[in-house]
Amino acid sequence: MADIDKKESVAKAGVSRREFFTGVGGLGVGAVLGGALLKGILLPDEVLAIPASEGYLLVDTKKCGGCQTCMLTCSLAHYGRENTTLSRIQVVQNSFAKFPDDLSIDQCRQCPYPSCVDACPTGAMHADPTTGARMVDEEKCIGCERCVNACPFTPSRVQWNHEDQHAQKCDLCKNTPFWSEEGGADGKQACVEMCPMHAITFTKDIPVQTDSGYETNLRNSHWGHLGFPVDDAGEKMPG
Amino acid sequence: MATGGYVGKILYVNLTDGRIEEIETSKYEQFGGGHGMGSALFWDLVEDKTVDGYHPDNLITMMTSPLSGTLVPSASGRTECNFIGLIAYPIGWYTRSNFGGRFSGELKYAGWDGIAIQGKSETPVWINIANDKVTIEDATDLWGLDTYETQEEIWSTVSKGNTDDGTWYGVGTGRDSGRTLQKPAVATIGKAGENLNRNACILHDAGNAAGQGGLGGVFGSKNLKAVSVIGTGSVEIADPAALIAARKEFQDKFAYNVDAPEMESPVPNFPAYGAITLSPGFGPLYLPTHVPSRPQGCIGCYKNCRRRLSTGVSNEDQCVESLFFINGSNQIDQNKATDLLDKAGLNVYDVFNHSYLYALNQMGIMGPGMEIESSLPFEKYGTIEFMEAYVDCIINRTDIGADLAEGMARAAKKWGRWEIDTASGLLDRPNWGFCQHYEPRLEVEWSYGSILGDRDINEHGLNFYVHWHSIIRGMVGQEPAISAEDMVNLIAEGTGVGDPMGWDYSEEGIYGDPKVQAISWHRHYTRFWKQSLAFCDWAWPNFINFNSADGDMSGASPEFEVRFYNAVTGKSLTWEEGLEIGHKIWTLDKAIWTLQGRHRDLEVFADYVYDVPTEAPDGLPMFIDGKWEYNAGLGRTLDRDKFEDFKTRFYANEGWDTATGWPTRATLEALDLGYVADELESNGKLGA
Repeated sequence: MADIDKKESVAKAGVSRREFFTGVGGLGVGAVLGGALLKGILLPDEVLAIPASEGYLLVDTKKCGGCQTCMLTCSLAHYGRENTTLSRIQVVQNSFAKFPDDLSIDQCRQCPYPSCVDACPTGAMHADPTTGARMVDEEKCIGCERCVNACPFTPSRVQWNHEDQHAQKCDLCKNTPFWSEEGGADGKQACVEMCPMHAITFTKDIPVQTDSGYETNLRNSHWGHLGFPVDDAGEKMPG
Repeated sequence: MATGGYVGKILYVNLTDGRIEEIETSKYEQFGGGHGMGSALFWDLVEDKTVDGYHPDNLITMMTSPLSGTLVPSASGRTECNFIGLIAYPIGWYTRSNFGGRFSGELKYAGWDGIAIQGKSETPVWINIANDKVTIEDATDLWGLDTYETQEEIWSTVSKGNTDDGTWYGVGTGRDSGRTLQKPAVATIGKAGENLNRNACILHDAGNAAGQGGLGGVFGSKNLKAVSVIGTGSVEIADPAALIAARKEFQDKFAYNVDAPEMESPVPNFPAYGAITLSPGFGPLYLPTHVPSRPQGCIGCYKNCRRRLSTGVSNEDQCVESLFFINGSNQIDQNKATDLLDKAGLNVYDVFNHSYLYALNQMGIMGPGMEIESSLPFEKYGTIEFMEAYVDCIINRTDIGADLAEGMARAAKKWGRWEIDTASGLLDRPNWGFCQHYEPRLEVEWSYGSILGDRDINEHGLNFYVHWHSIIRGMVGQEPAISAEDMVNLIAEGTGVGDPMGWDYSEEGIYGDPKVQAISWHRHYTRFWKQSLAFCDWAWPNFINFNSADGDMSGASPEFEVRFYNAVTGKSLTWEEGLEIGHKIWTLDKAIWTLQGRHRDLEVFADYVYDVPTEAPDGLPMFIDGKWEYNAGLGRTLDRDKFEDFKTRFYANEGWDTATGWPTRATLEALDLGYVADELESNGKLGA
């Protein structure tokens, strides 16, 4: 399931919006326009585009300690229970692999042109009217999983919440009933707050729509002092 | 009915008849989790507690705690294993060992608070746990694979290849059983375990091992290659907001700030300084990292002690594992040697003494044509070639490896060297045949705890303060960051013991009544808070805050352990109540050892501890001439009579018979262990 049946759910007539989004790979108009906030761009099939998110999670995968604290926090803040599979940010790692290719952080990109929103037949997957964050209205979700399959990334950043029976994705902590802080694009994000390695950060600027656009270098000289690399690629010993 | 933190059931697997059953967690909840639950299960499920560790009736418990798989910092990722051990000498005591990583979390997410494994399969098998579906699988094709290969095979099998391409996969047949991106958590043996080595460990991921005790050999004796678990369920938390707030507050006040540390090593790339500052990547200790790496931690950790390297060699290794080949000429070879152990599933701490073998060779005792015949290439000692030959002979039981597979103590006994070499200290194994870890004549909560228990205790909670702090500061040319007097006062306050003289390591202090209280506290504390609730040994307790931003060096303990536990469970446990549960568990363990043959007469150290003065400087707090100081403790021996007197007072303090060291009925009944008293009495081993 999940990613496996992704291809079958995509309409193939002409240039669909999804193909457009995926085809630009994330490069998208947002990047073309230099990161300006988009509030209404005409797309190929003449549908008004969705407002851009007013916030994005950036990660430094080379600083990540693989402790999954972000995942435990995400699950707890949203659902009041611990379950790494219910975390909207996923750290995937291979103990035996070589740094830095031993680990990925798979967070929602809050795409400028969100395939997940576009794929939803009920409007459950939508852009938050105040912050633009791509969110799920759980009451409207009918469980078709088109959003899950529409996500252009592997693994899909939209998940099926099997316990509560609805799709879910990162909302930048807009809806975190079990966290006493104010979340959302104008507030705090639990994973950012709790990461003990300070390897996740938040920005209001639309990142360049490539993988590297969401990857940032959060390592300073103190990190290097511990014997860890501080160069962008993580290839050089410090000093 | 499960409360917050617990998921409600314990898995029982009998490999003899293939039974797979559930045990309600609630029956054992009074023991907290981890070790306590394991000991209670052992008592109930093992009828004859005197059986050998290889016996099919031996029970392996792999237990989580209510904190496992939760946001509680450095308490989420430990799995506590109990079993009758193979390695302790002269008797393989009922023992424990725990390991980190992700296993405990996955087990909870799969809906199990723990696993109890008994019996022996006729053929090699592995246990496959995917949520509530548990199967015993054929391991014929896995037998012979190393620990890394085994895990990769199981990852691919369980995930149906999805973990290879990074896609979500279903755990079960429908979408409502959940999907995950995580690899199954696998604990496995390598060749050492398959060949029933007494010094074999189990390994999970690249560097998480349960080593002391020989659990790998116990797995092997059951024809059990591995246990795999993957889960997609939830762990209920009684007060989620309180847990998140407590974690945030703890981290802000007490953690090392990686971007702007309050205290930083004056020397770059010196991992050992993390013993003080709790900085990430601490694991390799004295070894600076020679290639790019990241810190790596167990699930939920706030420290992330270990490292993964750009070479991929020696990933996640730490502590004595990293120092196994400390005499190697370069770090590439040092790391290779460590990987040999990991892949073979060999416990480093029993094979650490290769220098002892070299000494025997140089003495003309071990080698070709010598008293102890061996063709090991001693002429290449100090090279990776020697280390490869050394490890190879142990896991394949060739050459002197046939003896060493029985553990260094039994090997030395067979060679006729045990008595003479432990008398001189050439073979420094102070208690139960375990390798000397810290100076037994000085750092006595370590040595006393070990000889009064079942193994080298490997409990660093106080050791990082009393031993490492002043030594590490001295290594980089710094004065202590806190005076000896302030240190012991903070420890005395944090523990709740109150009297700082309990942490006086002077000639007088190590036998005093305050030391009885301090040792007693330590046994109770570790049995409950650390080994049953699974607070990590490398992170807890936190009595001194070297990362303080405002100069207040008071630590997080005991306030935060209690806050975390109560936020998760919804209970209102106090620190002191936890310590009393620790007393109960410690006494239950003592009852098991008593049935195994324990008597106070056996609780004595190797002769060198009493007869050979210390030569290496330590740096422990001592009260001398009316003042506190950090002192090297040179020239110290342990006094036999004074230690025996200490034991008498310690037994009395625990409520045990001072003549035998056995628990009494009054004490057992006061701890709600009357059924234990009955069994001791029926075996003629109830303390008077």
